[in-house]
Amino acid sequence: MKKSSIFGIVVIAVAIAVIISTYASSSTYASFREAKQTNSELHVIGHLDKQKELYYDATKDANYFSFYVKDDKGDECKVVFTGTKPEDFERSQQIVLTGKMVNDEFHASKILMKCPSKYTQDKLETTEVSAKKADI
Amino acid sequence: MAIDYKGEHLFPGHLGQIFVVLSFGAALLSLISYYYATTDKTGSDKSWHKLARIAFFINSASIIGVGSCLFYILYNHYFEYHYAWNYTSRSLPVYYLVSGFWNGQEGGFLLWTFWQAVLGNILIWKAKSWERPVMTVIALSQVILATMILGIDIFGQRIGSSPFLLLRNAMEAPIFQSPDYLSFIKDGQGMNPSLQNYWMVIHPPTLFLGLASMVVPFAYAIAGLWQRKYKEWITQAIPYALFAGMVLGTGIIMGSFWAYESLNFGGFWAWDPIENASVFPWLTLVGALHVMIVYKNTGHSYIMATFLVLISFVLVWYSSFLARSGILGDTSVHAFTDLGMFWHLVIGILIFLILSIYLPVIRWKELPRSTKDEDTYSREFWMFVGSVFLALSCLQLVVVTSVPVWNAIFGTKIAPPSNQVALYNVFQSAFAILVTTLAGFTQFLKYKKTDRAKFLAQAITYLIVAILVAVIVIYFTGIYRLKVVFMLLMLGAVYSVFVNGKVLVDAFKGKFKLAGSAVAHIGFGLLMVGALIAAGTSKVISENTTGEQFSPDFAKESNPKENVIVYRNEPVKMGPYTVSYVGDSVSAPDHFFKILYQRLDNAGKVQEQFMLKPKAQVNKQMGGFAASPDTKHYLFHDLYTHITMFNALTPDENSQGDEKHGEDDDKNYDPPIPHQVKVGDTIRYRDGYIVFKGLGLDNKVANLQLGKNEAAVGADLEVVSHGKTYAARPLYVMKSNGVFGFPKKIDEAGLKLALTKITPATKQAEITVYQQPEGKRKFIVMRAIEFPYINFFWSGTIIMVIGFLMSIFRRNKELKTS
Repeated sequence: MKKSSIFGIVVIAVAIAVIISTYASSSTYASFREAKQTNSELHVIGHLDKQKELYYDATKDANYFSFYVKDDKGDECKVVFTGTKPEDFERSQQIVLTGKMVNDEFHASKILMKCPSKYTQDKLETTEVSAKKADI
Repeated sequence: MAIDYKGEHLFPGHLGQIFVVLSFGAALLSLISYYYATTDKTGSDKSWHKLARIAFFINSASIIGVGSCLFYILYNHYFEYHYAWNYTSRSLPVYYLVSGFWNGQEGGFLLWTFWQAVLGNILIWKAKSWERPVMTVIALSQVILATMILGIDIFGQRIGSSPFLLLRNAMEAPIFQSPDYLSFIKDGQGMNPSLQNYWMVIHPPTLFLGLASMVVPFAYAIAGLWQRKYKEWITQAIPYALFAGMVLGTGIIMGSFWAYESLNFGGFWAWDPIENASVFPWLTLVGALHVMIVYKNTGHSYIMATFLVLISFVLVWYSSFLARSGILGDTSVHAFTDLGMFWHLVIGILIFLILSIYLPVIRWKELPRSTKDEDTYSREFWMFVGSVFLALSCLQLVVVTSVPVWNAIFGTKIAPPSNQVALYNVFQSAFAILVTTLAGFTQFLKYKKTDRAKFLAQAITYLIVAILVAVIVIYFTGIYRLKVVFMLLMLGAVYSVFVNGKVLVDAFKGKFKLAGSAVAHIGFGLLMVGALIAAGTSKVISENTTGEQFSPDFAKESNPKENVIVYRNEPVKMGPYTVSYVGDSVSAPDHFFKILYQRLDNAGKVQEQFMLKPKAQVNKQMGGFAASPDTKHYLFHDLYTHITMFNALTPDENSQGDEKHGEDDDKNYDPPIPHQVKVGDTIRYRDGYIVFKGLGLDNKVANLQLGKNEAAVGADLEVVSHGKTYAARPLYVMKSNGVFGFPKKIDEAGLKLALTKITPATKQAEITVYQQPEGKRKFIVMRAIEFPYINFFWSGTIIMVIGFLMSIFRRNKELKTS
């Protein structure tokens, strides 16, 4: 077999590996109900319930922030985030949470907010906060 | 009924819009003329060529016109224009008005088309026989870019988005019913605080110059295929490809530096989709460069070189689509939202994609091919392999970053990997191991055929040296705690640095033309070393171990508690430092927190101290704040600090301690405690003690007129709190209509002191101490991260750019001599 053919096969194998690994490690968008049935990390899209309490008290614990989110299906769940309350959190319109269910609380490792942009009403802006360290 | 609006300055907008349309028309004319000039086989008729040049000059001039009009509007704060209102405000200094210019998408396109015009003019001057076909492609690109800022309705469909859109046309509001609405719009919305950074003045132009210059190698490739000058175009395009790689690389790292200096995600690279998108074309272009050089020297790898050059430019358009179409909304932090140009951008990609497929396909049989395989012990074979792996690393980035695109195409609902940073790190490091190792041992190979024994001896000797050094580095920096793939990358990077160091030494001994590539490879290797150590072993030194645990099973997971609360003037130990929050300083709209870092020795003596001033910008209108970090740079590590929360702002440090009385104010304190004291007595309280030094008569009180038989008595107090001393003099005023207390506040110590009674007979006084409750005291919540050896990352970049520059000079010289 020619060297170029062998190399060609290697390249194709790597390309396939890339695609499979992406697909295998990809997560799903789910509701809180679905999150309760699994142990894996997933994404939940919902919005902040502004009627309920946003709890953050730096004097007690600077790394504990909890709030309530209603998902797209209408289910509500308490969410806990290890970190400070993100800037402009109250003004978020939509929240994408990454994390998993622990007992009856959703422990988020990442929060991505969609806020009406700080300076314009006609545009949307997203921000993301993560509880994870620079994991390498 | 049309409303006769007052006070608007419509002229610059109209003029600008004329220039916009003119730039489009001229580009189109230039495209058509260059096309006919190219296809005219007789070559005798110069009129098309002349016309094409004139049209291109008009296009360039009108782009400058558009830019001037826009800047005039921004500079004069004409807020009737949406662009000025949306991105700038009166308080912005002029240099940020410049960055306001490219704050919006329209400005980005303008910058892109401007650079492309500049490059076009350089080509008209330099390209000689290549001018006609190459400029046809450049003009085509100019036409498409011009449509992006056209902002004209055709058949009810808005084509492009013009920077000269009026505010009253951009949004609907009742205010625009009023003819003098402008008198209500006093100021613009201002610029996002995180963009108010000097790097934002130079990063976008650099990045856009890099993206724009990708068109030149693309145009040469298309021209070569079109005109059947298959071989010649590659030599011509190499210097331009080097230039594009150099500038785009610089632009990307500048963005990384901006993020590190002014954003608070705590790092220099986050694998955000927008960041990834800017790297796609760079990776393929660097791959392309290597195979172009292979082809020039050996005649191998032609198809690969052509493919990579073509795909690089298509990827420029694809990354522009990702950034501007709004498709990344759910996954990216800083993607733009859709300006209604989704399909417009798709068409842009398709035009160049179809061109890149069509031409190679119809010319397929004529393309130069090498008849025999490359030798295994040849430089060209391994350079080819390296390019392929660069392209594959780009593929991985594209596949993962494009998850929302796949969802849109296939109607699926896949979410991106939940820990995509780890995924990217592992994959990209694996590719980087291969690339750096190849950049190492390939230097020992010659084109065509190499002496096998000699090659192996050299390559392995250097590998052993590299292993020894890498082991030491891995041990001392703590990389051994990371995954194996990162240790291997360290080895690859060190190997690449060493081997290319040897090549550089040889270059100084005489083979100087090889110096450029050696320097660039050394730079890339150092960049990898720096990125790996800084990101892999960065240490959060503000780790919180004292905070109350709310939920024990939550803490058991490896959830880092990275934020620490620091009360004013109450030092906290963080890593090797003792950190205190000592004050605030305000320079509107920025609020700086003064944070004192001290390194104490065992005896408690200060070994080293420095002040960091991370800032927060509070937005009163919208609520909330935006924080920017501050970083202490050392030669071998950085200390990065930013504020994540604070409870109170003292708007002006100088106004504190003013006599303010009123019942409301007392609510901010714990219940007052009166103390009966004699001169010299000490009052103890939670955070220290207060010494009563004596009483004195005052004959005037701030706003009160003292008459006869009226007096003010002041108590001299000295407060010592956490090693700091403050003086306070609360007053007790006796007037004819009663007695008044004038307490004194010491905000820094969280105290209010009042002189509430004087008993002259016993020489006693009553001092009432108001103490702020723990939670009401001023505090900040902060995060501090140490980044070791990050300077390798920045200096590696600079060295790599120098290498590119040296190569440009070399290849340019080759062009002239050949």
